[in-house]
Amino acid sequence: MLSGNVVEAQDLTKKFGDDIAVRSLNMQLPRGVIFGFVGPSGCGKTTTVRLLTGFYKPTSGILNVLGTPPADFSKSDREKIGYLTQQFVLYPNLTVWENLNFAASFYGVSLFRWGRLNKLLDFVELKGDKNKLARDLSGGMKRRLSLAATLVHKPELLFLDEPTAGIDPILRRKFWDYFKELQAEDHTLFITTQYVGEAAFCDLVGVMYKGRLLMIETPDGLRRKAYGGDVIGIRTNEDISSEHRHQLEGLPFVRGKVKIVSDQEVDVIVDDASIAVAVLLEWSQAQKLTVEMMEKKSPPFDDVFVRLIEMEIAND
Amino acid sequence: MTRIFKFLIRISSFLSKELTEIFRQPKLILTLVLGPFLIMFLFGLANPGQGRTLRTTFVVTDPNSFQKEIDAFTKSFSSSLVNYVIENDGELALKKLALNQTDMVIIIPDVPLETIQNNQQAEFLVYHNEIDPFQIGYINSVGRIYVDEINRQFLQSMVEQEQGDSASLQSNLEAAIIKTQTLRRAIPSGDVNTATQAADLEKDLTDLHGKLTTFRTLASGVLVRPFSAKISGLSDIQLTVIGFFAPAVIVLLLQHFSITFASLSIVRETRSGIMELFKVAPITAFETLAGKYISYLFFEIILAGIITVLAVWLLKIPILGQLQDYALAVLVLLFTSLGVGFLISLISETDTQAVQYSMLLLLASIFFSGFFLDLRLMKEPITFLAWSLPATYGIRMLQDIILRGSSAPPMIFLGITLIGIVLFLIDWTLLRKKMESQYA
Repeated sequence: MLSGNVVEAQDLTKKFGDDIAVRSLNMQLPRGVIFGFVGPSGCGKTTTVRLLTGFYKPTSGILNVLGTPPADFSKSDREKIGYLTQQFVLYPNLTVWENLNFAASFYGVSLFRWGRLNKLLDFVELKGDKNKLARDLSGGMKRRLSLAATLVHKPELLFLDEPTAGIDPILRRKFWDYFKELQAEDHTLFITTQYVGEAAFCDLVGVMYKGRLLMIETPDGLRRKAYGGDVIGIRTNEDISSEHRHQLEGLPFVRGKVKIVSDQEVDVIVDDASIAVAVLLEWSQAQKLTVEMMEKKSPPFDDVFVRLIEMEIAND
Repeated sequence: MTRIFKFLIRISSFLSKELTEIFRQPKLILTLVLGPFLIMFLFGLANPGQGRTLRTTFVVTDPNSFQKEIDAFTKSFSSSLVNYVIENDGELALKKLALNQTDMVIIIPDVPLETIQNNQQAEFLVYHNEIDPFQIGYINSVGRIYVDEINRQFLQSMVEQEQGDSASLQSNLEAAIIKTQTLRRAIPSGDVNTATQAADLEKDLTDLHGKLTTFRTLASGVLVRPFSAKISGLSDIQLTVIGFFAPAVIVLLLQHFSITFASLSIVRETRSGIMELFKVAPITAFETLAGKYISYLFFEIILAGIITVLAVWLLKIPILGQLQDYALAVLVLLFTSLGVGFLISLISETDTQAVQYSMLLLLASIFFSGFFLDLRLMKEPITFLAWSLPATYGIRMLQDIILRGSSAPPMIFLGITLIGIVLFLIDWTLLRKKMESQYA
């Protein structure tokens, strides 16, 4: 195993009867990154997390997490892992503080932990609610309490299964701020999400579809994969004719068809935006087109994801 | 009209939803319907429908002298009622009674006929070792029936003997009459031989007079009931019904609390999903189970303390035995009951199912633990069911400690402890499998 990788999987497969939940998954996850695991509901994200945490035993394939197959995890291996489940599983009749204390106990955290627990409650902004019963908390507060319980034993590697599911956009953003802070404290985060837009906050993104890991890329790389290159938007004062579009498509660094946004605006896919912009400006001048706007576009990840899935369906 | 339809539609939504949910749980329905029925059926099988067999020891100095009466008595009852042996050592018989090797000791008076002839009732001493007021009543009845039977036997033999005696008396009287006639004819001649006959006649008539005197002076009470019985228990404790049932109620309450709390514990965690976290966390099934046992034991001990204080203060139930024996018996009862509760929790799929199993166990405990029906009255196969319930052991232990003032019977204590340990091991194995089941 490479020393920098916290997760290494090779041909990892999990079957439930005849159903294949995870199919030949290959993955190498370096230490210290935020890894976003995106995909539609039921695509196998949670099953993969459960394989990585040792909850499920793989049907076949090789898997090492922190250098050890999860099925052989010792207690000390488990102490290095934090796991936030998809559902709120803590005790509704215990207070915030009592739940956190319970989590600290079953992870074997020293009894002198008062300061640690307070710091965590401060971190998730629940210090003022520590005497509230968990059943009286809002959905977002429950997720924050769960996150604090996951962090209580200072794990190296965090598996967070849809931590932002069902909470409002402002709180979602706050969660990603927490995750960035955790990354800065040398934690490695493995985060599953249905909100593909959250891929933008990750260092690496894995796209899962029907049990298959389609790719692992940086967010930019993902866009490039989806569109076949960088997208440059061009808006001119004059109409862009079909002749202009043919010329653009004939340029050597332009990939595929030019997308018409309006009579005076098109999107062009190029190999490398940083090089292509200068050439395109020259081409516009030569065509006597007055450029009002020319910039690299970042298509929303929702579109990126849809394109990737469409491509996958087309390949099938 | 539309509003009425909407009203009905809204009602029907629950109708279909509730029924669908109920029928989706066939195991629950089966338990609900068949569980109580099965318990009642087994209870019907367990109850012999007749009095309890009493292992009776007759103590008599000369066994041959009363063998006839004892045989007649035991034959007059069903053989299942009295299983008797004859001893000539009263102390040994009472020791056996104390050790529960016999149920009743009847000490037959040494010289009953002489006592009766002295115008006194011959008293049978009947001993038992019961604390249950119903069983004491039963033994009193059996004792009275026994003495009535002996009296009947005695009167019969007396009548038969007197009939025999009266026949010889009649011939004696006839002979005396003839002798008197001869004497009357011979006396004038002054014969010596006649004088001797007259002397014999005088003796016969004197004997007859003596017997008649004895018969006439016998008290009618002694004549009709020559024997009586004095029935007493080995212990001097006089228990009320509440007093007798108090230990059993304490046991049933503690068992039920323990089982109910424990049965909901793991099933709730399985349902809530926290088991997923336990599996990933560095916590073992043993640590989880031990933690649960300790916490519930702590809580149940407090509860047991409160119940005991209430029983002693409010119900005025004295604990005659040692307090440490009582505490130990309660501890082992709670430990074993928690084992049953956790087992239910581990095999149940829902809270409802767990509660249902707990209630069935309470019902079974009421019927089979000796609370409702004395264990000695149960038929053999059903007693296996009885001895699989912690309450059966608990009731025996607490009755002995609280009511008799003795310590818990060692075999009973050992039995419940063993069951508790086996249950812990089963629970541990099942929990380990549950925490690892996702590996399948």
